[in-house]
Amino acid sequence: MQTDGHESICRLIDKFLAGDISGAEEQSIRQHLGACAACQRYLDASSRAIAGLGGFTFGSDAGLHARIITALTVRAAQLETQQLSHRKLVWSYIAALILTLAGSFAAMQLGGQFANALSATRQEVHLGLIAVWIVPSVCFCLLLPTLPMLSKRWMHAKGVSL
Amino acid sequence: MTLAATESEPERIARGLRQRDVALLQTLVQEYQYRLVRYFIFLLGTRDQVDDLVQETWLRVLEHGRSYDGESRFEPWLFAIARNLAIDHARKRTFSSLDSNDDDERDHASFSPVSNADSPFEQAARTEDARRLAESLQSLPPMIREALVLRFQEELSLQEISHVVGASVSTISSRIYRGLAALRQQIDGGDHAN
Repeated sequence: MQTDGHESICRLIDKFLAGDISGAEEQSIRQHLGACAACQRYLDASSRAIAGLGGFTFGSDAGLHARIITALTVRAAQLETQQLSHRKLVWSYIAALILTLAGSFAAMQLGGQFANALSATRQEVHLGLIAVWIVPSVCFCLLLPTLPMLSKRWMHAKGVSL
Repeated sequence: MTLAATESEPERIARGLRQRDVALLQTLVQEYQYRLVRYFIFLLGTRDQVDDLVQETWLRVLEHGRSYDGESRFEPWLFAIARNLAIDHARKRTFSSLDSNDDDERDHASFSPVSNADSPFEQAARTEDARRLAESLQSLPPMIREALVLRFQEELSLQEISHVVGASVSTISSRIYRGLAALRQQIDGGDHAN
């Protein structure tokens, strides 16, 4: 019975050291430790083991810090350049989209006026414009953002690097 | 009142990482370099390639800094990055152990040092107790050494360690108890031998 009591206190001491203990459990440890030398020794040995973990000094390469800073500076510059070209690409995409929509609208407006000259109805000219110009333009515009990805994949497949 | 005056330390770090502020990174490298070296040595049980891993960790911090939210402490986020790198590194070194179903066994095998060089713990021990613990530390499973260093050297809470390791709090507690038992035995054994 006594051994069980010690074991449960030792388990509580482990919980206490791990930082996983309630206030009531901590109180019961304190009460027990005041009257139990064996459990106090258990706590002392555990505390010594934990303190012993601080008795190591791991040396590192003297140039490591400088190497890390250099690598970080270079990488930060690369990321900045990548970000700038990404922004440029986004603006190019927006401009292309606006031009496509504006051009399509203008073509639809003007196309009808050439219907007579082409011996076709207004509706036939519009359908022709949609099929030959507007749909291909919009499709190309929508595919534009995938170009960098496709280009990267192609370069990867060919083993080309920048 | 300025923004800088009202924001907490994690918020300040998060803002700097979002802006890819190299000056902030320099101070972080200064502050955490030794701690990362120690963490990798405890996790891997070897000094080999630790410097490269530390450098790679900081590059990942720079690249993925925007994923740090600044709401929780920086340390668990940093050590989680370091741990993922160590796992990648260990996977490159060994493949056979990855099929194992036992978590501890798999991790132990993955992180076990391949070289026969002297234990980094024996080389780094500066106190009598540390010398006693060195052998025991080298033979402990890496996950247990990791739990010990995160809890007792980095002073992370069980919840924070759980976040770093991706295991439940009860699993972390159990690893800490097992580690403490092994270290205590070493301390007790040394006393009885003297």
